[in-house]
Amino acid sequence: MNFSSHSTMNPMAWGNLREDAYPEPFGAYSHNQGVKPRADAFTDGVQRTQQPIVTGTSVLAIKYKDGIMMAADNLASYGSLARFKDIQRLHAVGDYTVIGAGGDMSDFQYLQQILDDLMVEEFAAEDGHPLGPAEIYEYLSQIMYGRRSKINPLWNSLLVGGFKDGKRFLGYVDLLGTTYTASTLATGYGAYIAQPLLRKAVEGREDTLTEEEAREIIKESMKVLYYRDARSLNKFQIATITEKGAVISESMSSETIWAFAEGIRGYGAQTS
Amino acid sequence: MFATRSEYDRGVNTFSPEGRLFQVEYAIEAIKLGSTAVGIRTPAGVVLGVEKRVQSPLLEASSIEKIMEIDSHLACAMSGLTADARTMIDHARVTAQNHAFTYNENIKVESVTQAVCDLALRFGESMDNEEAMMSRPFGVAFLIAGTDELGPQLYHTDPSGTFVRYEAKAIGSGSEAAQAELQDKYHKQMTLAEAQSLTLKVLKQVMEEKLDQHNVQLAQVTPETGFEILSEDKLKEVIEAM
Amino acid sequence: MSPSAQAPIRHDFNPYTENGGTILAIAGADFAVIAGDTRQSEGYNIQTRYAPKVFRLTDKAVLAVNGFAADGNMFVKKVKQRLEWYRHAHAKDMPLHAIARLIQTMLYAKRFFPYYVYNILGGIEEDGTGAVYSFDPVGSYEREACRAAGAAQSLVQPFLDNQIYFKNQQAAPGSPHPAHLPLNQVLALVTDSFTSATERHIEVGDGLEIYIVLAKGRNSNELESLKGVAEVTTASEAIATGERLFVLRRELKKD
Repeated sequence: MNFSSHSTMNPMAWGNLREDAYPEPFGAYSHNQGVKPRADAFTDGVQRTQQPIVTGTSVLAIKYKDGIMMAADNLASYGSLARFKDIQRLHAVGDYTVIGAGGDMSDFQYLQQILDDLMVEEFAAEDGHPLGPAEIYEYLSQIMYGRRSKINPLWNSLLVGGFKDGKRFLGYVDLLGTTYTASTLATGYGAYIAQPLLRKAVEGREDTLTEEEAREIIKESMKVLYYRDARSLNKFQIATITEKGAVISESMSSETIWAFAEGIRGYGAQTS
Repeated sequence: MFATRSEYDRGVNTFSPEGRLFQVEYAIEAIKLGSTAVGIRTPAGVVLGVEKRVQSPLLEASSIEKIMEIDSHLACAMSGLTADARTMIDHARVTAQNHAFTYNENIKVESVTQAVCDLALRFGESMDNEEAMMSRPFGVAFLIAGTDELGPQLYHTDPSGTFVRYEAKAIGSGSEAAQAELQDKYHKQMTLAEAQSLTLKVLKQVMEEKLDQHNVQLAQVTPETGFEILSEDKLKEVIEAM
Repeated sequence: MSPSAQAPIRHDFNPYTENGGTILAIAGADFAVIAGDTRQSEGYNIQTRYAPKVFRLTDKAVLAVNGFAADGNMFVKKVKQRLEWYRHAHAKDMPLHAIARLIQTMLYAKRFFPYYVYNILGGIEEDGTGAVYSFDPVGSYEREACRAAGAAQSLVQPFLDNQIYFKNQQAAPGSPHPAHLPLNQVLALVTDSFTSATERHIEVGDGLEIYIVLAKGRNSNELESLKGVAEVTTASEAIATGERLFVLRRELKKD
């Protein structure tokens, strides 16, 4: 078994186990190599090894008129093997928050446990201060940064979406403890493929987009990802977090057309 | 009264039913047996004076040290069990140096006083995993003199960890008479020379021996030159000018 | 040959990344200006168009942080915590030069697992002068008149050297170079620095936040006429008697 890859640091390369055996021309999968030095002044310091095993790919989320909409497919890959095709990568934490995860699924399930325990503790406190999305995001960020600082990271890219007290919340945090908020977010391959589509459709329209419009944007992006991301699956869920609370849908799929592939020569299944 | 006292005055951390900590109160009493120390604040600086009890003609008076430097802008005079003062002044010095190291500025007079008082009530039984601490209250009181951005200041601390700012303060065996005299003679616009002279006058009144440059010590803290102990020659001049 | 063609390589986790962006500060005679763009990026990805890198510490001290954003945010959080503790212990706001020294000790305390951030501290000194302190990730620091750091440091600093220190400029006979520039000129230099850096550096852009600290009693006339300026002085009595703090926000190109 060869799990090694000089670019597993790159969220875009997670689950990309074949890269070693069959190097991509121009290092195509390692998108960051040109700009981000793999080695810096501190590379030779104390380090331990970690790698993701069973991985999830992109998570997408946008702000719209009534709240937040988030989506992730149901696939957990084992390298290039589509290993689990019915896992949930969206998880509700309390009544106002949903987190979505890419990266290592066992680390994500560990985080779910921690957050669920936290919510039980908070419920038991009965102090009239239920944790909202901003608080859960801060807590999660501290866990992620704390673990990276012990050089023992939780190998995930996470989106936190929520709605509380009339306010929308959408934030990102990853294995390095890097955080940011924006009106459209996408992890993994989605950052390359879906994020430009989401920004074009959403930026400046956060307060007017209807749920139907938002759903169309998300579905279209999930479809494009399914066409382009080899570690994705045409089976996904959409979560909405609004005034009415967090709702995670049943799994759904997009209509796709592959007829064009028949005419393509030069790679693929054809032998002549 | 005596009965209740004998029951509750043993444990250092035991309140009496009237809400008193006898060991702390006894420690405060111990100060009243100590040699007299006087401090006077003026707009130009703070003057500290102490009586040295030279018990024997064979004793080297210069070896008695009751005024110490905490930092170049901080001094302190003590009365009571002066051996206990070592621990506390050491703590004050470390606190002041640490502050200068971390913040590149002089620590405030009140802050260093607070640091000394933080230590005052850290006595009793330490837990298993704690380092050993003082088993009884510290039997010493301080006059802490210094200058900072708020100008020259004088603080008094006692074994209960209480601290108060004064214009002029006397502690030790002669403190009652000395304080009365200070109250009579002190005025806000004193010069440093007047404060030196008054300090000596007050000490002279409460001392059993005849005051001379060997059995008293005078120090001052000014914004310009910081902490200094007056030499015996200088002391002699001030005594003669009284 | 690619390294991956050999025997399995152990992959090491790298706890750092670079998040782009640029910061800059200039000290005037009785003011200081501290600025930063608001783009946060990793590689070719823009993560967000608005992630502040410049933070109010007190009414007279502003800190700009650039480098690895997660370390930067944690560092600012810890500095603010220390400032609050100091306020409780010493009943005053920490003076600027003391904050500078504190930042050195905090950075050096992590000498062997550093905060991967470049800090620039700007504000008003106790003597009323404008001041800028710049730091490296492990705490070396000095007081300067101006400093740029971050992705476009190599574009902006030479420009500042020329315009603030008058490097490579010959003064006209009888009219020496001024020691300090007036506020409106400094603000013009700052905006020009960032619009230029935005043009030529992919990691700079989206938005610009400029903090302006005015010394006690200094008039704010130059600021009143500017649009997009907001006063953010916290101590209400300070507006009349103490230092005053303003933010000026500008758009930068988003491409």
